[in-house]
Amino acid sequence: MTNIFRLTLALLCVIFSIASVQAQDETAARAKLVQAILSEGTEQQKALTEIADSGSKVASDVLFAWTRDGIYIYVAPDGSKVPVMLEDQQDVEGRARGIRIIDGQPVKDASGKDMKFGDSDLNTADTDMRLRGEIQQTLDMLALADPDSDARSSAVTKLGNSQKESYIPILQTRLTKEKDVGVQKAIAEAIADLQLFDTNPTIQITGITQLAGLNSIGSLDNLKQLATSKGDPRVVKLANQAVGSIEHHIWWVNFYGTIFRGVSLGSILLIVALGLAITFGLMGVINMAHGEMIAVGAYTTYFIQNIFGAGFSFAINLPFSIAGRPLGFGLNLPGLNATGWFYQSYFLFAIPLSFIMAALAGLVLERTVIQFLYRRPLESLLATWGVSLVMQQLFRMVFGANNVQVNSPSWLLGHFTIDDVSFGYNRVFVVAFAILIVIGTWLLLSKTPLGLLIRAVMQNRSMASCMGVRTTRVNMITFAFGSGLAGLAGAFLSQIGNVGPSLGQNYIVDSFMTVVVGGVGSIIGTVYSALGIGVSDQVLQQQLGSPVMGKIIVLTCIILFLQWKPGGLFSIRSRNLD
Amino acid sequence: MLVKTTKWELWIVAVATVSLLAVLPSLNAFTAPESLMHVSDFTINLYGKYLCYGILAISVDLLWGYTGLLSLGQCLFFALGGYMMGMYLMRMIGDLGQYHQPIPDFLVFLGWSRLPTFWEPFSSFAFALVMVILLPAVLALVFGFLAFRSRIKGVYFAILTQALTYAGCLLFFRNDLLMGGNNGFTDFKFIAGYDLRNASTQRGLYICTVLLLLGTYALCKWLTATKFGKVQQAIRDSENRVLFSGYATAHFKLFVFVLAAIIAGLAGALYVPQVGIINPSEMGPDKSLEAIIWVAVGGRGTLIGPVIGAFAVNAMKSWATRAYPDLWLLFLGLTFILVTLFMPKGIVGLPAQLGVVKQRFWPAKPVVDESKPVVVEEAPLTKPD
Amino acid sequence: MKRYLLQVISLVAGLSLASQVKAQNTVKVGVLHSLSGTMAISETSLRDVLLFAFDEINNAGGIKVGDTSYKIDPVIVDGASNWPLFAEKAKQLLEEDKVAVTFGCWTSVSRKSVLPVYEKDNGLLFYPVQYEGEELSKNIFYTAEAVNQQAIPAVDYLLAQGKKKFYLIGTDYVYPQTTDLILYKYLLLHGVPPENIGGGFRKDDSGKVISAGKYVPFSYTDFQQIVADIKQFAASGDACVINTINGDSNVPFFKEIVAAGLTPADCPVVSFSLAEDELRSMPTKDMVGELGCWTYFMSLKTPENKTFLNNWNSWLQTESYPGVIKEKRAVDSPMVLSYDGVYLWKEAVEKAGTFDVDAVRKVLESGDISFEGPGGKITVQANHHCTKNVYIGETKANGQFKILETFPQVVGEPFLLKDLDDKLAAKQ
Repeated sequence: MTNIFRLTLALLCVIFSIASVQAQDETAARAKLVQAILSEGTEQQKALTEIADSGSKVASDVLFAWTRDGIYIYVAPDGSKVPVMLEDQQDVEGRARGIRIIDGQPVKDASGKDMKFGDSDLNTADTDMRLRGEIQQTLDMLALADPDSDARSSAVTKLGNSQKESYIPILQTRLTKEKDVGVQKAIAEAIADLQLFDTNPTIQITGITQLAGLNSIGSLDNLKQLATSKGDPRVVKLANQAVGSIEHHIWWVNFYGTIFRGVSLGSILLIVALGLAITFGLMGVINMAHGEMIAVGAYTTYFIQNIFGAGFSFAINLPFSIAGRPLGFGLNLPGLNATGWFYQSYFLFAIPLSFIMAALAGLVLERTVIQFLYRRPLESLLATWGVSLVMQQLFRMVFGANNVQVNSPSWLLGHFTIDDVSFGYNRVFVVAFAILIVIGTWLLLSKTPLGLLIRAVMQNRSMASCMGVRTTRVNMITFAFGSGLAGLAGAFLSQIGNVGPSLGQNYIVDSFMTVVVGGVGSIIGTVYSALGIGVSDQVLQQQLGSPVMGKIIVLTCIILFLQWKPGGLFSIRSRNLD
Repeated sequence: MLVKTTKWELWIVAVATVSLLAVLPSLNAFTAPESLMHVSDFTINLYGKYLCYGILAISVDLLWGYTGLLSLGQCLFFALGGYMMGMYLMRMIGDLGQYHQPIPDFLVFLGWSRLPTFWEPFSSFAFALVMVILLPAVLALVFGFLAFRSRIKGVYFAILTQALTYAGCLLFFRNDLLMGGNNGFTDFKFIAGYDLRNASTQRGLYICTVLLLLGTYALCKWLTATKFGKVQQAIRDSENRVLFSGYATAHFKLFVFVLAAIIAGLAGALYVPQVGIINPSEMGPDKSLEAIIWVAVGGRGTLIGPVIGAFAVNAMKSWATRAYPDLWLLFLGLTFILVTLFMPKGIVGLPAQLGVVKQRFWPAKPVVDESKPVVVEEAPLTKPD
Repeated sequence: MKRYLLQVISLVAGLSLASQVKAQNTVKVGVLHSLSGTMAISETSLRDVLLFAFDEINNAGGIKVGDTSYKIDPVIVDGASNWPLFAEKAKQLLEEDKVAVTFGCWTSVSRKSVLPVYEKDNGLLFYPVQYEGEELSKNIFYTAEAVNQQAIPAVDYLLAQGKKKFYLIGTDYVYPQTTDLILYKYLLLHGVPPENIGGGFRKDDSGKVISAGKYVPFSYTDFQQIVADIKQFAASGDACVINTINGDSNVPFFKEIVAAGLTPADCPVVSFSLAEDELRSMPTKDMVGELGCWTYFMSLKTPENKTFLNNWNSWLQTESYPGVIKEKRAVDSPMVLSYDGVYLWKEAVEKAGTFDVDAVRKVLESGDISFEGPGGKITVQANHHCTKNVYIGETKANGQFKILETFPQVVGEPFLLKDLDDKLAAKQ
């Protein structure tokens, strides 16, 4: 019993002493941070170096906030400067408690109450590019011990690019502790890269061999420099070989990268054109306002984002007045002021709502304009172009002529890398999203009773009507569905591009092309043509080094292709000559 | 027949000819600026611009209203004609440019010190005129041959021509093409020895435009009344029947397409010296759509309709961009929707439409009033499916 | 049918008659910007700030010419992002409305389109947006930043920060092409080897570089390939991107940059077409530390700027012009330069004692006309450009710039290419 008691006591002592050592470290680190923030020049540099050695977690948080203007200087009543961070939690006026860097406690006023500050109440602790470079280096040193392996490798790479051999021992120590294979590779690469700057040819050769084996793109410039230098002939020869093998590697990276980028561009085209494949392909309506349906989806996303955030309001003044009072109207909606994961999830709500809003807009358009023009397809083009002008101007009036700001949720930012080919999360998401939409559309059209009706009406409107199908209603639903798909496209496009009144105009020619090439009336044709156009565009762009020429050639090829297959890739066979 | 010249049409053409060709220029030239009757240089210039649009609209209508080919790329030919003329005008600047060098300014700041070879012959006015006709004609011939051979028509033709003009637009935006890129050509000084900044030169160009418009009108009037014109309209109404009757429809369509391209090119060539700028946005897909709207508003399948439409829409645009700069797109858009839905025959067809309404509410007396126009509803413009 | 034609004609004629009626003691001033179409994004703000400046002057008693005070009567027209329409509207302003001065244009092409009109009718135009230079019209005054008041200071700054590799990217039109060509020569002159200038070159037959950098068309949206290229370019460190992409395309470009993980710490992007107004639609939270260079930043802490911002905000609350958005407005350099232009013109008119264009121009060219604007002192030079302060700033999460460096009173120099060629030749 006593033994156990003693043991426990001893353990507790150990734990406490570790804790207190940590606490001591933390206090020291905090003191250094304050010193770094308030000082300048060499003193500041020295403080930063010392922080780098401390390995403190607090330090990296504070330093990171500092580079992002998140550190403020509170001038106490006695005139002393107190560096603070503002808490995330804000009150209704957008004010938050200020947390002192020195001890992590909130700033209190004379009566001992927590003081709250708004963004503009305090001056930020300024940084310039050079200082941020130093802070970044400090952060990188701290990041060498970061629990996250990505942060570790990026820190390692930066040290490797620094051309300072003094980092080699630090990196070597780190290498012995490192468990993660990826980071180990990055460290090896960084060390080898730094070794190139050694004066000893043997060490240089070790570095070159290592880099060639690792296919290090980052060191290509340095290797090229060595290859053209007048150093040791062995070094020069090896460097030449290494440059060759890395350039070969880059070729493959570009190859796979181009394929992926082509697929992702194709997916965007597909999402954009799928709605059109239904309204134009199946129904024969040339909807020039398709682009504006996309914009409806994008603006819905913006609207939802604002509802989750600070709210949404607009006011329109018309240039007419009644009895001297200018005519106008407006709307003011309060926001949910959501934060954290709840705010980040806004996009999940925005996706279905974009569909619904665009579908509603499509419904209105069908009822008011399109339904009168089913027999006059070329004229539907003119009327819908008018609709598109009206809608653009309405967007301008409600949301302003400027583009609006749509922030991507954090889970769509960033990327992962496989053997130097990088895959952006948003791009991977669009590919998955496109697959889902295509499968959904295909299921709807081929496996549901509604799909059967849609196909029946589209194949022969009058016959279907004779069979008792309520064609008016089917037309309405089909058009709304097609427009809804355009809305989904808009929700997605808001994540990779700009949201503005003329958003739709950028995609209208491309989407018509995609549908025509695929074969009007064929969903699977649209899929193939979107992917084909996307990949060839990216390949040409890569080969020609010019984004415009690639596009022009693709357009020309499409025109020529249609000479060969006037009905598109998958033309529906019909005995009807017209 | 739709092409039958009604008394009304004759009257309008006669009045328009006299007022456009004689009255307006005289009022511009021979009255004092303070006079109430004076027509300003600005107005002459503005009307010249509208008339160019009118010619373009006739070319669109020749394709769409008479042959059933909706081309969304007619402005490409218009702009090409304009560019050819523009190249000549750029050469005529001589060394009066910003850099006082013998080559156009934009070439200087793209780093060129001598004239690229393909620019050389454009110092000649005659060569430029030939190119104004040739380039649109050849492009139309090649594209039309490919398109009509594989029997591309209807919506596909519309979208392909749109792709063509879009590709052209992208191409001309490139500075590497050495055609001035986005800035295009501007700051012209002389045409065939006359100073473009003089009011008399502008008046001369205006009169040329009126003459070209009249010429185009007469040509199209004649063409559509010949047997050729009948085949053309038969193609519009049912191409297959024409084909089965042994006509090579592709040849007919190709001829009309090339002719329309030439007309558009000539209009463009007169347009450029009057507005003083040509840039790739003139061949953007939206410009061609706008031209189609003029035709739709004026009334397609007639030859005065497009001109009236071009005038009406552009006058409204000039007025609204000034009176209601924030709302004019709403007006414009709503006009297109309403015209398409409720005025399928445009302004020209309005009296007939009103006649129908009148017929419904105030049934006409059996005696036909000779002084009222009677426009008989003829064959439908598009066939019902 | 004749009726319609006549109606249309009389409509146009009636309008031009109506506009010739002149009220007493007002002076007509033209505002020529795109209020619709693609350029409305940027240009509507300029219309707003001009209205503000006019109201401010009118409320302070107007313009005093001799013993009479004239109120400004703005004639606002919409260029509709349509370049021939710009020329038409310019003609209308000069020949029908007989405006004393015009404030307007944003794009180079719109300026090029109206330039012959102003020269022919001897009008006066104030142009407020950064541009490529290589132009000098006797009828235009450029309050705008010339290349040596924006791009060159920015590159100087980057060189001083130890950047060694420069990637040039822009929209394919004259401003980026010329700016990049100037920068290419400038970088060579400062010892940066051609292989460290990214984006590619085009050479003429003799091997002379006539274009440097990567170019995309207007409204381009797919930057995957280019960003991948930049990433490889920047892999070896000490790289930066010189961005002359115009308008809309910046959003997809920066979203791609963020997605690819290129941080300002690794590879900063300095943009010449992104001011506070454009930043409102950008993902600024992820762009902290990207650079900008202008002759005005909203975050300037001078008393002139504070007064200006206060007046502007209270004007926004009280004005009742149609189409002016009141909420969440930003002020940026083109707006302030428009505003400065109005005051420079006012001063010149008062000094000349007449609205006559030739007299006003003479006074403006004298070099004595200057104005303490929100961005600091601005002085008109004899070469129609202006001497003003240049600031380097970096973006903050709230869409504002933090000022990093000030180049005081930089003289505007429109013609740079030839000078650089000479210097390069001398160096070789």
